[in-house]
Amino acid sequence: MNYKTRQEDNTITTEMAGRFTFSDHTVFRKLIDEITALPAETQIFDLAGIEFIDSAGLGMLLLARDEGEKNRTTVVLRGAKGQVKRMLEVARFDTLFQMED
Amino acid sequence: MPASADLTAQMPLFHRVAIAGSADLRTAQRITAGPDLFTPDNDAEVRFLHGSGIEDFPRDVRFQACFLPSLVTPDWLGALTRLNCNYFIEAYEGLDLGDLSPLRRPYPGPQWDLLACLSTQSAYHLPIARKFVTALRRRNVLDDKIAPTLEIAVQEAFSNSLLHGNMEIDTSGHLSMEKFHALEQKTRDRLADTTYGRRAIILAARGLNDGGVEIFIHDQGRGFAIPAKTDLATMPGGESTFGRGLSLIKTLCHDLKFEREGRTIRMRFSGTGAQISLSNSLETAQPRPLPRAADKERSQTSARPSLAASAAEPAASPVEDSPQDTPDEVHQAHILIADDTMISREIVASYLRAAGFTNLLFARDGNDAIEQVHRHQVDLLILDIIMPGMDGYDVCKELRSDPAYIDLPIIAQTALEENEGRTRIFQDGATDLILKPLNKSELLARVKIHLEHRILVKQLRAYRDRTQSELILAHDMQEMLIPRPDYYRPIGRDYGLSISAAFQMSSELGGDMWGLAPLDKDRLAVYLVDFAGHGIGAALNTFRLHSLMWSDGDVLNDPGAYLAALNVHLKRLLPVGQYATMMYGIIDRKNARFQYACAASTAPIVGRNHGQSFEFLDGSGVPLGVTADAHYDTRETAFTDDCFLMLYSDALIETPLTDGNMLDPDRLCDVLRNIMTRPGGNSDLASQVTDYFYDHTPRELGDDFTLVTLQSQREA
Repeated sequence: MNYKTRQEDNTITTEMAGRFTFSDHTVFRKLIDEITALPAETQIFDLAGIEFIDSAGLGMLLLARDEGEKNRTTVVLRGAKGQVKRMLEVARFDTLFQMED
Repeated sequence: MPASADLTAQMPLFHRVAIAGSADLRTAQRITAGPDLFTPDNDAEVRFLHGSGIEDFPRDVRFQACFLPSLVTPDWLGALTRLNCNYFIEAYEGLDLGDLSPLRRPYPGPQWDLLACLSTQSAYHLPIARKFVTALRRRNVLDDKIAPTLEIAVQEAFSNSLLHGNMEIDTSGHLSMEKFHALEQKTRDRLADTTYGRRAIILAARGLNDGGVEIFIHDQGRGFAIPAKTDLATMPGGESTFGRGLSLIKTLCHDLKFEREGRTIRMRFSGTGAQISLSNSLETAQPRPLPRAADKERSQTSARPSLAASAAEPAASPVEDSPQDTPDEVHQAHILIADDTMISREIVASYLRAAGFTNLLFARDGNDAIEQVHRHQVDLLILDIIMPGMDGYDVCKELRSDPAYIDLPIIAQTALEENEGRTRIFQDGATDLILKPLNKSELLARVKIHLEHRILVKQLRAYRDRTQSELILAHDMQEMLIPRPDYYRPIGRDYGLSISAAFQMSSELGGDMWGLAPLDKDRLAVYLVDFAGHGIGAALNTFRLHSLMWSDGDVLNDPGAYLAALNVHLKRLLPVGQYATMMYGIIDRKNARFQYACAASTAPIVGRNHGQSFEFLDGSGVPLGVTADAHYDTRETAFTDDCFLMLYSDALIETPLTDGNMLDPDRLCDVLRNIMTRPGGNSDLASQVTDYFYDHTPRELGDDFTLVTLQSQREA
């Protein structure tokens, strides 16, 4: 997985791409460190470029949500497609995150 | 009888073993000689063949095993898809399979359609689930439809075995940021540790008789006790995060088992698994019921439908295949009359003799009939149903159970008039039925029609076989027009270029062609041609063009003039409506430039600054063979020591990928950038782009696919 972040006003958008799986610990840790250092009301994870996610990837998204809650930040998942979208549905992530197309 | 089990039982005289890239030969020798690969009683000689890229291994050579370099890089995973080999083993220091050896067992032991054995250290960083599933699809083991489901299940199961098994990492409990940091650290430590990091993990698959597939994942951890209940519905916010894959797997496969005290995961997927998809596991979130089909072992020889079809060819007599011989052939047919009463046999025989049939054979009962069929080359069997001992039903069943007699015409005759017997004889395999007492003209009409039909089928089959063998010959000839690695690699080195190429025809014959022409010590010409359409017509045109290409000496130095000259020749040769697209260019190393001309080709891509930026060159121009007075511009761009050039047929950018999109320029650039920045990315670029393409496209391509890259290997 690789990512790009950008900040506009009170929103941080992270565009993620590639496969998001168990071996992405280190890159995800770096990502969390980066975005929690920035003050924001909303964190958007743009998943449009993610082509495959496994349960560890889902776990890491949950972790991002926990971190967001600590800082009173709303975490939004955006643009999931195909396999990623189905995985989010199976895990009922719509009950945990704000979802956008 | 078609050859089957006998052949596989034979030990090969020697084993061919592929050594991929920098795989250590000494380690490979150690593993091959030791207990890990072959059974101890197997003393066949081992021959090693080295290749620096996947294309170096000829596709028509079968390898019994392939050793991958220690710390496998993603580029070599393409071998799973493209190498003619089922067993892939990372040659690393410390590989010890223990109870899992030997990987290759003699027939009838488990015969894997694909097996990969990797170190924990390598497996952790590789997209192994994706590559494995792509390879199974491309090898026809797995239907495209169930591939997405299978990929998720393999990913989850494999990560379970890797993290919890080999690395012994505990991920239970709620995942906090602190725990996540600790987990990351522990992961790194365990990967670096020689005990955990050098444990092997094996992923293996075999196709099942019902079209399904069975996946095994073996680890070398301590094993684990299977949790009593895992419920997918409670996943969000639940206690476990990383370990929740298990509940997901259960919803995706038909059967999940654990063996070796939890160190082996065994998953079975039904061939009709299209209906299980992630989306409907949403509603139920329950394990699927077991399918009834028994998963018999499937031997490699009977595995593929295409092979099975050719194995089922009857061992029939050779036939004259000119149609005018048909009437005689009908009368020369060997007809076997099976009846337990002599008078009945004689009646049938007298009718047939009177009609000009002379090759008649007789059987006194069922057993005799079977024996005669085996002894003579019978073209038609007239079979009495009610006979002592083995009756007509049993004769039908026995003959039909043998592929050699699956289409022998059998005319059953009986005095039975009840429906039940008539239905049953058809179920048991009779082709036709006539009632006693016999009506002469009815008997003759039926005999004739079935013989004519049989002869026609034989002719068609002979014709098909001949066409097939000619196509294979033509295919081989066409492949000879395309440079092979042992030709283009050394040429590339002469010019400080790493050349990589992939080429796949969509049918036996194709309309794509590429090639190289060294002009002088600094300049190398390269071209890519794509004739409209594919198949025989397009292929013939590639031969035409190839014979024209090198006839004009000087003009080769000027791309525009060269295309114009070729165009004039082709316009003369090609009928209206046939044309070719082409790119012809010259890489000039001394002047650091690329001069080229295009005839409606795809846009050649120049990557600069080691893949950080890309230029899509102008591919416009009139297609070759359309109009005689077409003019072609010679264009030019810089080609420095940090550049690569990529040429491709339109199949690369016009084949819909599995997500419905195509490889548009943005996505193609992303793919290239990703490959260039990962380990092993600075060489064999075409090979790696092809792997990406195969990962994301259906097995059957609609068009020919060609991809060539020339990467500068000089330091900028």
